[in-house]
Amino acid sequence: MSRFIATSAIRGAHGVVTKAEEMLKSALDKHGEEASVAFVDKEGVGSTFFLPVIYGYLGHKIEKLGDMAWPLEHARSLLPPVPGDNLWLPYLGELADAGVATLFAEEIIKGIEFVEGKQPEVRNGFTFNGPISDVQTRSWGIQMVDGSMPGFAAVIGAAKSNAVAVKIVRELQSKGQLVFLSGSNNGRSIVDQLLEEGVDLGYHTFTVPFGTDTEATVYAAGYASRAAFSFGNVEPGNFREILLYNKFRCFAFALCLGPMDDLKWATGAGAITYGFPAILDTVAPNILPTGITKYEHVVSMPFDDIPGKDDMERAERLIQRCIEVRGIKIKIPSVPIPVAYGPAFEGEIVRRADLRAEFGGKGGICFEWLSMKDPDEIEDGKFTVVGPDIDSFEAGTKIPLAIVVEVAGRKMQKDFEPVLERQIHHFTNGAEGIQHVGQRDITWIRFSKGAVEKGFTLKHLGDILHTNYHNDFGAIVDKIQVTIYTEQAKVEELIKQARDVYRERDIRMAGMTDESVDTYYSCTLCQSFAPNHVCIINPERTGLCGAYSWLDCRAAYEIKPTGPNQPVPKGKCLDPVKGVWEGVNSFVYEHSQRSVERFTVYSLMDAPMTTCGCCECNMVVIPEANGVMIVSRDDYSMTPCGMTFTTLMGTIGGGQQTPGMMGHSKRYVLSNKFIPVEGGIKRLVWLSKNVKEEFAEELKEVCERAGVPDLIDKMADGTIAITVDELLPFLEEKGHPALTMESLL
Amino acid sequence: MPEVEVPAEKWTGKVHEVTLGGSNGRKSVVVGGETALPFLHFEGAMPNKPLIAIEVQDRNPTDWSPHLISAWGDVLADTGAWAKKAVEYGADIIALRLRSAHPEEADTGADEARKSTDKVLSAVDIPVIILGPGVAEKDNKVLVAASEVAKGQRIALGNCEEKNHRTIAASCIADGHVAIAKTPIEINLAKQLNILLCDVGLSPDSILMDPTTGALGYGIEYCYSVMERLRLAALGGDKMAAMPMFCTAGEESWRQKESKVTEGVPPSWGDHLERSLSWEGITAVMLLNAGANIVVLRHPATVTLVKATIDKLMAT
Repeated sequence: MSRFIATSAIRGAHGVVTKAEEMLKSALDKHGEEASVAFVDKEGVGSTFFLPVIYGYLGHKIEKLGDMAWPLEHARSLLPPVPGDNLWLPYLGELADAGVATLFAEEIIKGIEFVEGKQPEVRNGFTFNGPISDVQTRSWGIQMVDGSMPGFAAVIGAAKSNAVAVKIVRELQSKGQLVFLSGSNNGRSIVDQLLEEGVDLGYHTFTVPFGTDTEATVYAAGYASRAAFSFGNVEPGNFREILLYNKFRCFAFALCLGPMDDLKWATGAGAITYGFPAILDTVAPNILPTGITKYEHVVSMPFDDIPGKDDMERAERLIQRCIEVRGIKIKIPSVPIPVAYGPAFEGEIVRRADLRAEFGGKGGICFEWLSMKDPDEIEDGKFTVVGPDIDSFEAGTKIPLAIVVEVAGRKMQKDFEPVLERQIHHFTNGAEGIQHVGQRDITWIRFSKGAVEKGFTLKHLGDILHTNYHNDFGAIVDKIQVTIYTEQAKVEELIKQARDVYRERDIRMAGMTDESVDTYYSCTLCQSFAPNHVCIINPERTGLCGAYSWLDCRAAYEIKPTGPNQPVPKGKCLDPVKGVWEGVNSFVYEHSQRSVERFTVYSLMDAPMTTCGCCECNMVVIPEANGVMIVSRDDYSMTPCGMTFTTLMGTIGGGQQTPGMMGHSKRYVLSNKFIPVEGGIKRLVWLSKNVKEEFAEELKEVCERAGVPDLIDKMADGTIAITVDELLPFLEEKGHPALTMESLL
Repeated sequence: MPEVEVPAEKWTGKVHEVTLGGSNGRKSVVVGGETALPFLHFEGAMPNKPLIAIEVQDRNPTDWSPHLISAWGDVLADTGAWAKKAVEYGADIIALRLRSAHPEEADTGADEARKSTDKVLSAVDIPVIILGPGVAEKDNKVLVAASEVAKGQRIALGNCEEKNHRTIAASCIADGHVAIAKTPIEINLAKQLNILLCDVGLSPDSILMDPTTGALGYGIEYCYSVMERLRLAALGGDKMAAMPMFCTAGEESWRQKESKVTEGVPPSWGDHLERSLSWEGITAVMLLNAGANIVVLRHPATVTLVKATIDKLMAT
C-alpha cells in the first residue's frame, strides 16, 4: 500500500467534502431546501435513479437540495484522518472510505451545479454531455452484458499531444471500450485536444465528454451504479452487490493522463471501490497486489518511458496495458485470411496435382512448438516470418518450417502448453486449401495452389492461430505471438530445442501419478445419451474415449467452468488398494442421477467404472484362463468371450456397472494403474492385434516393467484364438503368468 | 380383489414456478411447481396445470396449410385481430412469432418488431410470448426492441440460445421478462445454458427451457427422452435443470409430410384434416406427458382437444 497515494487521496477527500459543504450551505441560502435537483444530459434526458452513486450506496433519494444534507454528513463521517508524517498505517480500507466520501461530495457538487444552471458544462461554445441518460444506459448496458462492449474507460486529464489523444481514443474504440472524458491539466483537457483535431464526440461515437473538472468523473461511477440496478437486478442501497457487479461484469478502468493531484487521487480511490483500477501515464507509486480490484489497483506507466519507436506506438502499448490490468478479453469476429475458413474444410486433402507448397512429411522438416511466456516478453498479434516466404520456393518443393507460438495469460499454466499446442492441427485445418497432419515434429502441412493463388501466405497461419486462441481459449490466453521460420539451418537448430521440450513434457506426464494430485476430473459430456454415466479421469487413466486426459480436463475446466469437466476432490481415502475415495463416490452418486453408489478406480471385479458407449476398448474376464481379454473398437473379429466388440457394447454401455467388464481407452493398457487390484498387465491373456501393433514399443516397456519381458508374445489375439478352446492351449504352451496367479473369481 | 399398494417414488426436487404477465392490467399465469413426474398425482403435487399458447404471426402466413387458413379466416391478415380470436378459442397465452424479421423473409427490423409486439399487447390482456425468427443475430435485434415495448409486462422472449444468451438475458433483466432458453436436444447443453443465464444475473424463476421439439414420427422419442431426463434431474434436486419446459408442438407437426401432403398418399392415411389435427394433438399430448409446461399450438380444434386432455389428466 502506498503511503504517498493514501495521504494524497485522503487529503483530496477532505478538500472536496469541505467544498461540497460550503457549496451546499450557500445553495440552501439562495434556493432553499425545496429546490429540485435532477441529473439530465445535454438533450434534457434524465434518469429515474436520482443521484445514482449516492442512491446506490445509501438507497437515499436526492430530489431536492434538502435531501443532500444527510449523505454529505455521511461523507464527512467516512473521512479518515490525513496521515501525519510519522503515521505509516494508512490501509486500503481507509483509502476506500476516502474514495466513497469523495464520490458523494462530487455528486452533490454536480447536483448543486444543476440547480444553479451550471451543468452540463459549456466551454468555448461547446456543450458537454453531462451525465448519461437512462435511455442511453440501457442501450449500452445490453451491449456491455452481451460482451460486445466490455466496459468503459474513464479518461481523465490531457494527453501528451493532440495526436496522442486521438490515438488513445481510437485504440480504446478499437477494443470496443466506451470512452468517458473528464478533467484537465492546467486548464487543458483531452476534450479540447480531440475537438481541435476534429474528433466527433457524443453518444453516437461512443465518446462522452462529461466536463473539464475532475468532479465530472463521478458521472462514470453513476453510470456504473445504474448498470448494476438495471442489469444486475440490484436494489439501490445494496452497495456490496453493486460494487461486486461492477468488479466482475463491467470491465471499466480509469486512465489518468498528466500529473496527478489530491482530488484525482481521491476520485481514483472512489473508482477502486467499484473494482476499477487506475493506469497513469506519469511517474507515481504502484499499488500492485490484488485486493478490491481483480488485478492491480494502480499502475504507473510514464509515457516517455514506454518502449516504442514513436508516441503512436507508446499510446498503443499504454492501452494494451490497460486492457491487461483490467483483464479484458478480446474477441475477434472472423479469421482474417484470404480463403474460406470453417469446420467444413477440416478433412480436406491436398493432392499432389494441386500442391503448391509442402512442409514436413517424408524427407522434410516441420514442427510446431507452443510455449508460455511472461506477458511483458511478447506482443499480442505480432506475426513474423523469418526467412523466405512461399513465393521464393518452386511449386511442390519441400520447405523447412518451424511454427513457434508464444502465449501469455494470467491463467495460463505450463501444463496447458501441450493442450494448446495440439489445437494447431484443428485450427489450421479449418482453412480452405490447407491440409495439416500430425503434431510436434511429425507435422506435415500442404498448401494448395488455389489457396496460394487467393493470396494465402505463411503469415496467415499466424492470423489463424491468433484468432482461434483468443476466441476459444480466451479464458486462459491473453496474448499470442507467432513466429514462422523457413531457413533450413534455423529450423534445424530450433527443432533440437523443441525436442528437448517434448521430452521434458513426456517425462513430466510419465511422472504424473494419481498420488501426486488431490483432485480428479469428471466428464459428463456423454450424458445426453447415457444419462447415468460419469467418467472419472485421473492422471493415470484417461477418459475411456481416449480423447480426454487429466490435463485436458483441467484445461477444459479453466476454459469453461460450467462445462462437462468438473474438478472432483478425492476427499477421504476409504480404500487405498481398490482406489475408493469419499469425494469421488459422492460426486459419482450425485451426477449419475443417484444410480452409481460406489465406484473403484483400480478394480475390474469390484464396482468398476461405468461406460457411456464411447470406449475405445472393452475388457472382459475370461474365467477359464484366470485372466482378462481386451478387444478394441477397430477389431471386428470374434473374441474368446464369445462376443464381438459390438455385441459386448450392448452389455457394457449405457452407464451400467458390470463387474468383470469395463470400457477404457487404448492407452490404459500402458498405465501403471492398469487394473492393479487384479494384478495388472500380467492378467492380460488376449489383446486385439491392432492395439498390439500400435503400441508395440510402449507395450514392450510395460512388460519389462512387470517383470515378464516376453509377455506380449504370450498374449493371444484374433489371429491366434477366437474361442476359449483355442486360447487355453496357447496360454499353456507359452506359460502365460495368469494361469498360475491367484484366482480372479 | 386384494388391496395393492401402489409404490410411490419420493422426490426431493421441485420444478421452479415461473409467472408470466400479472402487471399493467395483464392477467397472470404460473407454470411449473411440480414435485413429481407429469400427472402422477399420487406421487407429488402438480399445482399448476400445463398451458396452451396459440401461435400468431406478424404477417399473413399464406404458406400455411389450407386447413389452418380456413380455420382462422380473415384474422390472419391482422396480428391484433388474430390474437383476439385466439383468446376466444381458449388460448392461455399468445405466442407471437416475428416471422417477417427472418433474413430470408421480409428481413424487417426493430421498428416493425415494436409495432407488432404493441399490437398484440394492446389487443389481448392474457400473457404474451414473443418469438424471434430463430436466427440469433436477428433475434437480438427484434427481441431487444420487443422487450423494451413490453417493459414491466413480464412477457417471455425466445429464442435465447448460447450464442446470444447475454443479450436476451440483459433485456429480460432490464425489462422484467422471462427468457426462453433453447438448446438442441441435449441435457448438458440445456443445463449449461441455464447456468450461464443465472451467471449473467437472470433469476431461475425467469427462465423457461425449450429443449427443442420434434413432431410425431420425427424424432419425438428422442425429445421425449431428453425432456424426461431433464425432469428427472429436476426432481432429483438439480436446480439448474428445474426450469419449466416450453415446446413448439404446432410449428413442428404442421411442417411434416403427414400434415402437408394431400396427394399420392396411401388411402389408409385417411382424411387429411383429421390426420393433421391428430398429428398436432398427439405430438402435443406426448410432450405434455414428457413434462412440457407450455405447448404452442396452431389449430383451434387441436386447442380444444388438448385442453380437454389436460383437464382429464389433471383430474385426480
